[in-house]
Amino acid sequence: MSWLLQRIDDRLIHGQVVVAWGQRLHPDRLWVADDGAAADPWERDLLAVAAPGIEVRVVSVAAMAAAWAEENLAAGGAFLIVRDLAAALALVEAGAAVARFNLGGLHYAPGKSKVNEYIYLDEADRARARALLARSVALEVQDVPGARVESLAALDPESAPA
Amino acid sequence: MNPRTPALLVMHSDLAAALMRAAEKVYGAVEDVEVLSNEGLSREEMEQAIARRFETWRDGGLVLTDFWGGSCHICGVAAARGHGDVVVVTGLNLPMLLDYLHNRDEYGPLALADRLMRKGRDSVRLHHGQPS
Repeated sequence: MSWLLQRIDDRLIHGQVVVAWGQRLHPDRLWVADDGAAADPWERDLLAVAAPGIEVRVVSVAAMAAAWAEENLAAGGAFLIVRDLAAALALVEAGAAVARFNLGGLHYAPGKSKVNEYIYLDEADRARARALLARSVALEVQDVPGARVESLAALDPESAPA
Repeated sequence: MNPRTPALLVMHSDLAAALMRAAEKVYGAVEDVEVLSNEGLSREEMEQAIARRFETWRDGGLVLTDFWGGSCHICGVAAARGHGDVVVVTGLNLPMLLDYLHNRDEYGPLALADRLMRKGRDSVRLHHGQPS
């Protein structure tokens, strides 16, 4: 069974992940592939206890790519969370066979423009989105399970490959 | 007498402000309690917004959040990193908030946090059928 959800969300573990998606899909493991969090023991400890009843593994993007195929065959279900499109693209370029990413939350920052209420992108983000789509990785915008799934390319034509 | 233990409510949507409005209906006008919504904020922005409140807290205080594992809780804990006198209490409900208001001048952060945790647990009860 393994991969149930691969999510891009700059809040990493938070309520929508733990409560909304967690209660819907009941993952056994939650992988956070984030170089910054993986390098910080305090942050790893914080994230490890953030999702009661789910085993949390905080690893670098490179380590996630190395573990991808094994996790894909593992018993039980798993979630992946990466912080941004840069990490998502790095993971795919490192060899992880990700079929789709769920875009769940990329908040406003200076230079970013609004795609919808919870997705803001700048030109670098859009270039990464185009690179992922060119590799046939689907990019689906959906914050919670009950919301409508929309393709990023449809919502934001600048993110679509030419 | 203890100095007043300050508190910041950090919750989803407008829950913190709504809880404060409800508390004021029961307690009366409230001063010195701040609220923060996570609406539209990245994790970094939330952590910074929470940590800014600590600058005026001389002897620590309480960050009161809605549920474990939510961004308000995670960011509260992350912002409190290195602030040993700041305690994060998760699962706030109205009885806990009222207990905080009644006791914030009597207890320091740690003792008050422990009291609120017990108050929260005791406040959840079931009733079915005849009152006993």
